[in-house]
Amino acid sequence: MGEIAVGIDLGTSNSCVAVMRDSSARVLPNAQGEATTASVVAIREDHGILVGNAAKANIIHDPKHTICSAKRLIGRVYASQEVKKAKAISGYEIVQAENGGIRIRVRDELFSISEISAMILRELKSVAEMRVGQPVHKAVITVPANFNDNQRQATKDAGRIAGLEVLRILNEPTAAALAYGFGRGLSQRVAVYDLGGGTFDISVLEIGEDVFEVLSTCGDTFLGGDDFDDRLIDLLAEEFMSRHGTNLRHDPFALQKLKESCERAKKALSVADEVEIRIPEIVPTSASGPAISVERRITTRELAALVQDLIQRTFKVCDEALAQAGVIARDLDGVILVGGPTRLPFVRSAVRDYFGQEPKAGVDPDQVVALGAAIHAATLVDAGQDAFLLDVTPLSLRIGVVGGIAETVIDRNTPVPIEQTRRFTTTQDGQEKVRIRVYQGESREASENELLGEFEFGGFRKAPRGQVWIDVTFEINADGIVNVTASDRETGTEASTRITLSSGLSERELENILEERRTERVQTEEIPAAGREVLGSVKLVPTPVRSIPEARERGPRPVVAAPPPETAAISSFDDAPGLDFAPEDDQPLLEAPPEEDDAEFLDIGFAGDEVEAPLHARASDEDLIDASLDASDSLFDDGDDAPELTEAQGSLLDGAKPDTSLFETPGTDLSSSNPGARKKG
Amino acid sequence: MATELAPTEIKALARILDELDYYGLLHVPPGADGVAVKRAYFASSRVFHPDANRHLPEDLQAAIARIAKRVTEAYSVLRDPRRRAAYDRRLAEGTGLRIQLAEAQAEAARSETQQRGRTPQGRQYYARAEADLQRGDRAAAARNLQTALTFEPDNALFREKLAELRGRPRPGSPGRV
Repeated sequence: MGEIAVGIDLGTSNSCVAVMRDSSARVLPNAQGEATTASVVAIREDHGILVGNAAKANIIHDPKHTICSAKRLIGRVYASQEVKKAKAISGYEIVQAENGGIRIRVRDELFSISEISAMILRELKSVAEMRVGQPVHKAVITVPANFNDNQRQATKDAGRIAGLEVLRILNEPTAAALAYGFGRGLSQRVAVYDLGGGTFDISVLEIGEDVFEVLSTCGDTFLGGDDFDDRLIDLLAEEFMSRHGTNLRHDPFALQKLKESCERAKKALSVADEVEIRIPEIVPTSASGPAISVERRITTRELAALVQDLIQRTFKVCDEALAQAGVIARDLDGVILVGGPTRLPFVRSAVRDYFGQEPKAGVDPDQVVALGAAIHAATLVDAGQDAFLLDVTPLSLRIGVVGGIAETVIDRNTPVPIEQTRRFTTTQDGQEKVRIRVYQGESREASENELLGEFEFGGFRKAPRGQVWIDVTFEINADGIVNVTASDRETGTEASTRITLSSGLSERELENILEERRTERVQTEEIPAAGREVLGSVKLVPTPVRSIPEARERGPRPVVAAPPPETAAISSFDDAPGLDFAPEDDQPLLEAPPEEDDAEFLDIGFAGDEVEAPLHARASDEDLIDASLDASDSLFDDGDDAPELTEAQGSLLDGAKPDTSLFETPGTDLSSSNPGARKKG
Repeated sequence: MATELAPTEIKALARILDELDYYGLLHVPPGADGVAVKRAYFASSRVFHPDANRHLPEDLQAAIARIAKRVTEAYSVLRDPRRRAAYDRRLAEGTGLRIQLAEAQAEAARSETQQRGRTPQGRQYYARAEADLQRGDRAAAARNLQTALTFEPDNALFREKLAELRGRPRPGSPGRV
C-alpha cells in the first residue's frame, strides 16, 4: 500500500475525515462509530484536552473551558465584527493578542485559534491512523470557498501544528463537486449549494470528464445553520420572558441548555414534522418560587417561517453566482446539497423552487466534502488517478492607493493559479521606500476590505520622482493563498513576502507552538482493534448510498467491510451496534410528541434502529434514480457560450489607469505608470 | 496524468513564455471560439496544472508553475470577449503580447465609452437614451438604456448611466485624486 493522504472537512460545528481506498472514498468513523466529530475542544482541569462529543458534552457544565465554533474566529482580527459577536455568545474567554489577533484564554493558558483547530485536526488524524492502521502525515483540508487569504493561511498553519503536511487547501463546494463527479466521465454544469453551520457558499462548476472548472463562487461568511438555532433560541427566550418574567439569556447555564436543545430540535425537524423541546427546571427552585421548565412544541412550518429571510438571503448570493458564471438556473444539469441544514425539508424545497429542479441526493451532505477532499488527496499522492481542479479566487485582490482607495488587481472569480504585475513609480524626489498594502474584498473603499497585510519596500535608487519603476507582482496559488513580491527592475532588488496579517502567527510563533507540542495533549479514545481495518464505507455517487436523513442523526457509522454498494448503507444500519441511550440527569430532553411514536430517533448522537420516515424514504428513492440516471453527455455539448465574467459596476474606474495614483503613506508614495505593460526584461 | 513533456521541453517553454502570445500558448487559432478556447485551457491544464506535476524536481515545478499561471491568464483574457477585443487591439498594434486583466478591463470600458456601445443595437438604443435625456424624459431614457443593456449586458457605460438615472451615485466617484 502506498502513502496515505486523508481528506479532512474541518467544519464549524462538525468535522469529518475520509480516505480513498480501492477507488472509493470512505469516511473514517471515530471511536464512537460516528462519521463526524464535533468541532469542540475542552481543556480539562489536569490540562488534558478532549475533542469531539466528549468535549461537547462538557459545554453545559463547563462553558468556560470548552471551545466551540472556533472556525468562526480563524484568521480574524480582534477588532472585527465577528469577534464581537462571538464574545457575546461564547462561554470561553476571547482576548486580544499583542499584535491585534485573537487568543483564547483557558485555565491560564493562551491558545491561538490555529492551535484550537489543530487539536481537532489532531483528533481526526488519530482517528484516521487507528482506522487505517498506519501513520498519516498528509492531508487535504477544506475551507469555505469564501475564506480569505488570512483564513486560509491560519487553516494551513493549523494543519502544520497538528503534524500534517497540508497538500492542498481545497474549497468545500469544489470538494463536493469532486465527490459527485469523480470518475464518472460527466460533462455537466452543476451548482453546489453549501449551507454549513456558520457559512454559506454557492459554486457553479463545469465538469468536463476529469476537469472540474469552477465558473464562479460566492458566499456569505456570516450565514449558517447556527443562525437558525439563534432564531429558535430568541423565540423561546422571548416567550419565556413574557410568560415567566425571567430572561434566560442572562443565565449562562440556562442559555447553554437552551442552545443545545434548539440545535437538537432543528436537527430533528429534518425528519419529523414536529418536535417537543422539554428542558426540565431550566430555572431551578429558589426562594422566589418553584422551578420552571421549558415545554414547547415546534413544527417544521414554524421553524421555516422563523428562518425564511435567511434562506432568501442565500438565494441573493445564488443570483450573484449564476450571473458571475454567465449561466441561468435552467442551464444547470444538477444541484448538489452540502451541509447539515440542507436536510431541512423547507430548505430543500426552497432550493428546488429556486433552481427549478430536484437537488441530487445520494451523497450525505455532512460527508460529501470530506469524501471529495479524500479523493483529491489521493490524486495528489498517486500519479495514477486524475482530477484537475480549476478553481477561482473568491474575492478581488486589491492594492491600496492614495485617498483610501483600493484598486483591483485581480477580480474575484478569476481562475487560479495566476500572477499579475502592476508597475508603479515614485511620487517624490529622492523617495527611499514605499509602503504596499494588500486588500481582499469587493469595495473600492480600502477600509471596507480585509487588509491582508502591508510591507515596506526600499533599497532602490534615489532619484527624482517618476524615475524609479517598481513592479509589484501578485500571485494567487492553487490554495487560494496570496503572495506579493515587489521588485526594482533597475537594481534587481526583490522583496517577497508571505502576506501575513500582523495578527496572524509569525514563523517564529509557529515554531514555538510546534515546540510546545500542546496539541499532543489531545486524549483520543482508542478504537478497538476489531474496528481498525474495517472502514465505514460510503460509496460515491455512481452507486449512491441511500439518502436516509433520519438515520444519520443517530450516529454510529456502518462498520462493514467493503460491502456491495447498493446495500451498504441499509445493511449497515441494520447491523449498527445498539448503544443504549442513557441520558444524563440534567441533559435537556428533546422529544417528539407522543403520537409521532418515534421519540427515540430524536436522541441525537446515539445508536439508532431502523426507524423509517416514509415520506423521506420515498423522496430518496426518487433521488436515487435521478442520481444514477445522470448521463454522460459528450464533452462541451452545452459549452457553446463560454462563460464570461460579468463586470462589476465600478469596473470602469476600478481598472482605469491611474493618472497619479498614489500609495497612502505620506512621504512614501508611488504613482502607477503604465500599469501592466509587458515586461521587457 | 503526469506531464508528457520532457524536462528540456518544459524548461524551453518556460524560457520562451514571454515571446508567445496567448493564442500560441493555448495552441488555438486567433479566430477560435469560446468552446475551442475552453477546450484548449482544459488540455493545457491537464499538462501544466501544478497538481499534475508534484512528483517533478523543484526547478521543473517552478517552470511548470510559471507556465500554468500564464495559461490561466491567457484563458482569462480570451474567454471574455471584452478583454479579448482589447488584447487583439494590442496585438494588432504590436505593443505587447500580454495584457494585465485590470488593464484589459479598463481598455474595454474606455473603448466602449468612446464608441458608445460595441453592437449596432447597443449604440442605437444608447443614442435614443441620450436624446430622451436631452428632452428631460428620464423614464424613456431608462427604458432605452435597459434595452441597450440587453444587447450588451456588461457594458460599463450603459450600466453607469442607468445607475445615475436611478439616482445612485457613480461608483467610487468621490475620493478620487
